[in-house]
Amino acid sequence: MNGWILAATLTLGTGLAAALWGVATGPLRRRVVAQNLSTAVACPGLLLLAQGYDRPSYVDLALVLALLGPVGTLVFARLLGDELAENPPRARIATGAAAGFGAVVVLALCVVTGPGRATAKLLVTGALLIGGNLLASRALAGPAGAGKGSGAPWTTS
Amino acid sequence: MDHILIAVALVLVAAGATVAVATRDPARQSLVLAVLGVLLAVLFTVLQAPDVALSQLAVGSALTPLLLLLTVRKVRRRGQREGDDE
Repeated sequence: MNGWILAATLTLGTGLAAALWGVATGPLRRRVVAQNLSTAVACPGLLLLAQGYDRPSYVDLALVLALLGPVGTLVFARLLGDELAENPPRARIATGAAAGFGAVVVLALCVVTGPGRATAKLLVTGALLIGGNLLASRALAGPAGAGKGSGAPWTTS
Repeated sequence: MDHILIAVALVLVAAGATVAVATRDPARQSLVLAVLGVLLAVLFTVLQAPDVALSQLAVGSALTPLLLLLTVRKVRRRGQREGDDE
């Protein structure tokens, strides 16, 4: 019907299918990373849906997901920490790609929306999404990988 | 276009639920359940029910895995303690 919904279909179809495949197979480290990336893919998809349906209130969904998705990943990082410590997950490329994709989507939507409160909300959502994702992937990498910047109590057990 | 999007979301939810049932280890199952929660939220959004999707996100993405993992940890600890006693 319109390009936004087409983009949302492609994003959600390919991204979430890949996340589901990653979470269903392979070692535990890969599954945790795939769970983290499912949030990073679904949030831009929901933003594109809000634009496609022309309903700005749907942006709330993406906002809540950007807030709670990293919280869920931190739960896994904390409670599965013993098993992950032996074999810490590293997925810099995938995490960076997902964060960059989220930034591109948020910026495109900001350009379309124009200045105003809606744009501020979009920017807050994007900042929460990218910041939360980087924090969660750093917490997953464990205390050794977190090193310098780990003020998070989640990583120390 | 809308029909294709709904079909994609439905297929993904069906696949995710099947995987969740087929996974045996509770820790890995909770990971699949977290992804399934996001998939269900997307399906509800596509079906124009954003309020349901909002509560599904709140419950599915953080609370369900937390409860499952805490239960698994407690059960394992109790099992270890009883194993030590005997």
